[in-house]
Parts: sequence; C-alpha cells; structure tokens
Amino acid sequence: MERIRNFSIIAHIDHGKSTLADRFIQHCGGLSEREMSEQVLDSMDLERERGITIKAQSVSLQYQAGDGQKYELNFIDTPGHVDFSYEVSRSLAACEGALLIVDACQGVEAQSVANCHTAMALGLEIIPVLNKIDLPSADPDRVVSEIEDVIGIDASQPLLVSAKTGQGVEEVLEAIVHRFPAPTGMESGPLKALVIDSWFDSYVGVISLVRVMQGTIKPRQKITAMSSGQRYQVEKLGIFTPKRTNTEGLESGQVGFVVCGIKDVSAAKIGDTFTSSSNPADRPLEGFKEVQPNVFAGVFPINSNDYEPFRSALEKLRLNDSAFTYEPETSDALGFGFRCGFLGMLHMEIVQERLEREYSLDLITTAPTVVYEVHTTDGETRYIHNPSALPAANEIREVREPVIQASILVPHKYVGNVITLCMERRGTQKSLHYHGNQVSLVFELPLSEVALDFFDKLKSVSRGYASFDYESSHFAAAPLAKLDILINGERVDALSAVVHRNQAETYGRELAEKMREIIPRQMYDVAIQAAIGSKIIARTTAKALRKNVTAKCYGGDVTRKKKLLEKQKAGKKRMKQIGKVEIPQEAFLAALHLEK
Amino acid sequence: MQATEIPLSLYIHIPWCIRKCPYCDFNSHQKRSALPEIRYVDALIADLKKQAGAVTGRSIDSVYIGGGTPSLFSAHSIERLLDAVARETALAQDAEITIEANPGTFDQQNFAGFRSAGVNRISIGVQSFDDVLLRALGRIHDASTAKQAVLAAKQAHFENINIDVMYALPGQTLKQARQDIEQAITLAPSHISYYQLTLEPHTHFYRHPPTLPGDELGWAIQQQGADLLTRHGWKQYEVSAYAKDQFICTHNLNYWQFGDYLGIGAGAHQKISFDTNSVWRSEKPKNPLQYMEQVLNEPTAGPTHHPLSQDELVFEFLLNALRMKAGFTRQLFERNTGLSFTWLVTKLQALVQEGLVVQLDDGLHCSETGYRYLDDLLMRLLPEVPETPPSPVA
Repeated sequence: MERIRNFSIIAHIDHGKSTLADRFIQHCGGLSEREMSEQVLDSMDLERERGITIKAQSVSLQYQAGDGQKYELNFIDTPGHVDFSYEVSRSLAACEGALLIVDACQGVEAQSVANCHTAMALGLEIIPVLNKIDLPSADPDRVVSEIEDVIGIDASQPLLVSAKTGQGVEEVLEAIVHRFPAPTGMESGPLKALVIDSWFDSYVGVISLVRVMQGTIKPRQKITAMSSGQRYQVEKLGIFTPKRTNTEGLESGQVGFVVCGIKDVSAAKIGDTFTSSSNPADRPLEGFKEVQPNVFAGVFPINSNDYEPFRSALEKLRLNDSAFTYEPETSDALGFGFRCGFLGMLHMEIVQERLEREYSLDLITTAPTVVYEVHTTDGETRYIHNPSALPAANEIREVREPVIQASILVPHKYVGNVITLCMERRGTQKSLHYHGNQVSLVFELPLSEVALDFFDKLKSVSRGYASFDYESSHFAAAPLAKLDILINGERVDALSAVVHRNQAETYGRELAEKMREIIPRQMYDVAIQAAIGSKIIARTTAKALRKNVTAKCYGGDVTRKKKLLEKQKAGKKRMKQIGKVEIPQEAFLAALHLEK
Repeated sequence: MQATEIPLSLYIHIPWCIRKCPYCDFNSHQKRSALPEIRYVDALIADLKKQAGAVTGRSIDSVYIGGGTPSLFSAHSIERLLDAVARETALAQDAEITIEANPGTFDQQNFAGFRSAGVNRISIGVQSFDDVLLRALGRIHDASTAKQAVLAAKQAHFENINIDVMYALPGQTLKQARQDIEQAITLAPSHISYYQLTLEPHTHFYRHPPTLPGDELGWAIQQQGADLLTRHGWKQYEVSAYAKDQFICTHNLNYWQFGDYLGIGAGAHQKISFDTNSVWRSEKPKNPLQYMEQVLNEPTAGPTHHPLSQDELVFEFLLNALRMKAGFTRQLFERNTGLSFTWLVTKLQALVQEGLVVQLDDGLHCSETGYRYLDDLLMRLLPEVPETPPSPVA
C-alpha cells in the first residue's frame, strides 16, 4: 500500500489534462505505440469532439521511480464541466492527491478553483502544474501568484511542463510519488469500496469503477450496495492498464473495476459503498447523495412512428447514465414523447445529440425548465417538471424555485459587467473578494435564470475571461406565473413557460414576436398571443401571405411544377400542425433564443 | 375512356434564342453561330412522322410553335413545317396555329410570311414597355421595338395576337406596373398574359436574386392589373390569362383541361392517352444536337415513356384544371381521366368544407381564396406515397 498513489487531475477544458494523461501512459508503457491513439481516456466520440470528459475513468500504471522502487499510480480522470460537480467530488474522494493543471498562458479558471476547493475539503494534497510552458506567451510568475491568490495554496514550487513536447513529464511522475501520500485504511477491516462511476457494457453488464477504502474484494465474494441493501456476487474484478485486465483481488488503497451482475447503472450509484455481505461495514462512506436532474425538457419524435424506437433508445441510454431520467409525456401540440431530466444544459445537449446521432432519431425538444416546488391551497407540495402542469393560479399558495450558489471568477475590469448580469438575472450578491487582478464573486441565482444561456452571456460580458461554477442551494418563494402562448386562440402546451411576474410582459412580448418571425406566413392570418391565466399580456399577428400561386404554368412539362410543389411540401412536413397553422420546430425552442 | 374523344394538340419546340434571359427556365440555348435551321426542321418532320402513328385518326385542334425564339426561323422553314403537319396528321380546318415571337427579332416580312404559311395567332414576348425594366430583365428589345412588333403583327393581318406582360419586376413600382398594363391595353391585342416574375431554379436570377417587390406590392400590382384588364374587356379565364371575346387560347386551354398533346423538338414533352385506360408521358432529348442526331440517324431510338399512375393522373389533372377560373365540368374530368367525378368529390370534401373549392352540381372550381392559394391547395392534393420509379418502355 505504501507504493500506491491515487491521484486525479484538476484542469479547465483545454488546459491539457488529456494530453498529459497520455504522456503518463506512454511513459509507463501502458499501451504500445500502435494502441496509443490520441487521448485514450476520452473514449466516447462525443467526448473527444467536445474535448470534455463525461464519464470518469481510470488507469493503473506501473512506474519505475528514481528511487529504484516500482509504484502503482492510479490516475482517476474526472468529468470537467459544471453540470457534473457531484461526479467530480466522488472521483476526488477516491484520491489522496490532485494535480492542478493550469495553462501557463491563460491562468486560473473558476471551475478549477471550485474543484480545488472540493479537493482541499476532502484533504487532498494539491500540486500545481503549469502546462504549455513551451508557448512564447507563457507567464509562469503571474500564474503562480494567481494560484496562490485565488486558490490559496502554496505554489512556490510549481512543476513546469509541456505535455505537448513531453518536457517536465518525468518530474511530475516523481512528484506524484514523493509529494502525494500513500493511501491509508485498514486492510483487515470490513470491505468499504467507493463507487466512483458505473457504466453499462453490452457484454458483461454494469462495470463499476471503485476505490477500495478498507478491506479487500475478491472474485465470487458476496457484496452489498449499501444505499439499497441489494446483494450481488462479484464476477470479475481488476484494473485498467488502461486495457481492462482481470486480477485476483483489489486491496485497500487500490482502484479498479468490479463486475457483479448488476444490470442497470442506477443500482450502482456514484458515491455508493460496496461492502461485504457476510462481514458488512457498520456505516457507509460519507458523501453519498442521490443525483437529481436539474433541468427538464419535453422530447418528442418528429415522426410519430419513431415513438417505439425512441423509447428503446432512451432505455439504452439510461443504462449508462443514471443522472438522466425520462417519463412518458403527451402534448396536444407535439403528440407522444417523454419528459426528460438532465443535470444541466450541457448534459441535455449531449443526450440529445447522442439520440440523434447514435439512434438516428429526428427529435424536437421543448425549451428546458427547472423543477418548481408548488404549495397548493389544500396544503399539498408538488414538484412540477413541466410548465403546462402548473396548477391554476387560484389553487396555488406559493411557488418556489430552485436557487443555486454560483462562484464566479473574473478579471477586475469586467466585474461591473458580471455584477450587472447577475442582478438582471435576479441574483443576490453573497461575497466579493479581490485576489490581485482577479475577483471572486459569489451570487445566489435562481436556477431558471442560469440554466439556459447564463454561461454564454457571462463569457460575452467578460470577453471570455469569466469562469463559473455552481452548486444547488435551496428552494425560494418567488412571484412566478405560468405564461401560455396561444396560436389562433388555441393554447400550445409545449410553449408554456414559468416566468417571474416582473418579467412576464417583456418575456411574453418577445416570445410572441419571435414566434411571429419563425412561423412562416401562410394562407391565414395567425394570431399569436401570450397570456397569464385568462389575461392576454401580448399579442401580435403573422399576416397572411397575399397569395401563393404559380404565375405561369404553360407547356407540357408538369413534372417540373410537381417537383417544386413536392419540395415545398417536404419542407412543411417537418412542421407541426396546430389547428390550421404550421409551426416549424424551431418555434418550440424560441424561448432559448430570446435576448434576455 | 375513349382516347379519341380527348382533344389533341401539337407542340413544336424551337430551342434557340439570341440571348438567354436571366429568368427563363425553358429549354433554350443561346445562338452562337448560324442555326442548323434546315436540319432542325428535317428533324422535326421526321419526329412528327414517328409520332403520328400513336394518334392515327385523331384530329389536331391546335399547333403551338414555341421556344426559345421561333421567330428566329424563316417563314419558309415554318411553312415547310406546317405543310408537313398538314400532310402527316389530321389537322383541323380551323386549328389555332400559334408562333411565339420576340420583339427583338421581328421583321415585317417574316410576320407576313408566317401568316401566309398558315400561322393564325402570334404571341409576342413584350414583358414590359419600360426600357429600364426591360434591361433589368435582360431583354434585347426596348419599348418602341415592342410597340412596333405588335403593330407589325396587325399589319401582317394577325387578328389573334397575344402579348406577354410580366409584373413584380426588379424595383417596379405600382405606377410603373400601371403604365405597362395601360400601354398593353392601348395596343389592343386579343389576348394578354399578365404574369408575375418568379425566380425559378436553374436560372441566373435564382442564383443571383434581384430585389423584387414584396408580397404586398406584388398583390397590389396584380389586383390593379386585373382591374384594368377587366374594365377594358379582357376576361380572366386562367391564373395569368386574359382574353377578349372568343380569343381564349385553344392550345393552352388544352393543357389546362388536361387534353393530350404531341410534343416534337428538343426537350418537348408529350402526353398521350391510349384506349386501354393508360396515359403515357414522354420527353425528347433536351440538347438540340443530340435531338437531331437521335431523330434523324437512330431509327430505333425513341423517347422514354412513363405510364401515369391513377394518383398522378388525378393530381396532374387538378394541377392544371384548377388553374381555370371556371374550374372544370364533370364531363371533362370523366372524359380526360376515365375516373368518376363522384369519387373525386369525395376526395376533395375537406377542401370544399374549408371553402377553398366550390362544388357545383356538374363541376368544381376554386373559391376566390382557393384560387389565391392554389399552390397550398395543390400541395395538399399531392400523392402521399413517393412514386416507384417507372420502368422505361422502348
């Protein structure tokens, strides 16, 4: 156990985490040159394309250190986006140390700060690593003082690295051995294995990545998932080299995988504790929580024949992603579909893209919403995932919305812009601290104001320099109301939204206007209204086209004319018919594109 | 269906122009050197001889020589062509025989020659009487040549003259459009085609769209034109066609009423109904040189024929017949499609209920709204299932 080092890497997107990880694998001979495809750890195509790690993974490496000893280095890769902060905390909990990689040109970003704070709270040793040191614009001195200022750790001995050229990689490996502590934990006590992540493999079922915190785990052992009490038998276990390699056991301090006949990832939850069924631990590891989706949207197949394939695609997807939820939903406007829950907008985009790409489905997604806590006049508390399900105003005593605590890090020259943005989004300032050139801000913000486009807006008001991290805080009462859109007097359920009363009029007017732009002019005038309850708060009209008739149709070639009509009609097919009105798909996402 | 009851027309295509207009999507080719006029007429005659067998015993009620610019051809060539038509087919005594003429290519002599060759209707592609707009349309003539051409046609004893006038031209105002239509009225042709400029795929304008009047102005221009024409005695009988008295265009009427037509010349289409409840379409090679080669030197080669399914038949009938202001009669539908009118009425019930189509005891026509939104209406009538590719029949 003294020669095991479990570590993770904290880094902002593009600061070079994956490249450095590849260098480690190369250095320790985990893969042959031929197997060494670029950035091995991000194995999903989508992850590679977006440069974001979605699932945690690990690799166990044998490192021959300068002191002549062989060490087992377990690198646990962590997801790198605000939507996945719980997953990050569980990965960090499996480690004794973390490398903080900072781009030597760009400096510290808020997400890294948040993750560092999580790591420090978990008692991890942190080693600052300045990457991209080979670039002419690298400014290590500035970045070092930024790290000390903003994160508050000693960065006086930073490691200077270029993951691209390989410069300094050996030094990092040596630092991992000498500056990170070895794991502690009784080898003899009852088994406690922390579930870092789980995923579904179509050959063996669910594979769980675990860190053994205490005791040992062996093949054929009976184990219990402590959050559910469910028992399983270990079928296979081992380590990733990074290839999955079976071993005869995992001991206290080790990181590896366990396959134990679980069919569904939701039975091997991130943060859960596996213990021995015959000699169980008296309490699970700390920090476990059920992950709840924050953002919900209706997702509907464009072609109603796709409903069954869509359902089975969702089932398959869910096998691998327990943070994602779905339940059937029927919309008057969009037909049969599902209300899906996501951790955040990125998660939603990823799921949607996977459904469309991997399962070739044409989907229409409604504007996302958060969960509202509704206290009704008859004393009930309901959680509403769908604006059209909000009870009538006279049945509501109070509506509460989810509030988050946002940590923002921004150079001081943009701090005014950022505060203005947060105030516009109904934020409450909690703290403001200067760290040299950087300012760290903490705001409480309604999640609904953040979920859609806050991150993009933040980037634009700070010329890309602000960074952002958040955690859920609480539900707070607010004057919220359901806003409906009526097309020719018919309420279109899929366009309903929950809005703040002060913003209702502007929102209604802008949404109605946006709809007018999006709905193509057709045979009839189309009245577009925004209403709260029975009160119309905005109205506009998409004027009818004066005519639509081909002027000249001479000659015998009717096929040409027919083709043009067929083409026009194909365009309409992708629209949804509401009464007599054809509404293009983008209308259902119009709310996303309003200028807030 | 008795095919012989269906009226039959003959279309003859002359595929060359001095210059291709930027809005034109017809099969026309810019004249680059001397035209192979004699050889092309030979080819047309050979083509006609081949086709004649399919319509034995059926009288031809109209001939339309279109293009391109048929007036590029000499009166002699047109005479030789029409003589062949009279020889090879049962050309009706009173058949309407039209030639298209471009004001930029007319000469007095030629018009008289066409007339004595047997042509009795001339269609002049004036488009506008505004020099600036004519240039914007890439036309090779100006307003005064256009007026002269119409007068020349009259002097050549054409009683039946059509002029094409286009509206919603690049930058056109309501006033300019009124001046155009007033000038057309002053020239007093028997027929005026008043149609909106549209940007068709595969044209220069489609790739480089000019700024055209919007929906509102286009509509105002159309209504203004329709008012003026109606007030001066031209009666609208089709979306873009206005005629004085009995001068409705027999040839175009036959298309719109879904009659049969033979088509000869490069890229010409034809539609022929046979006794066995079958309707066939075919198309000639578009390239003039390839067309001549095929017709003159490859005796066994023929056009590709496509049988029409019942869905296509009905749709194509409606596509044409609903363009008629007066719609169509039960008898016309049953004769030209061989299907039952009662069945059609059931099929169109929704449109009748929505007030887009008006059902009469003995026919159907579009309502005013339906007529304005004819393309929307037709889109709803398009056959749902994509057609299976027809198998070519030699």
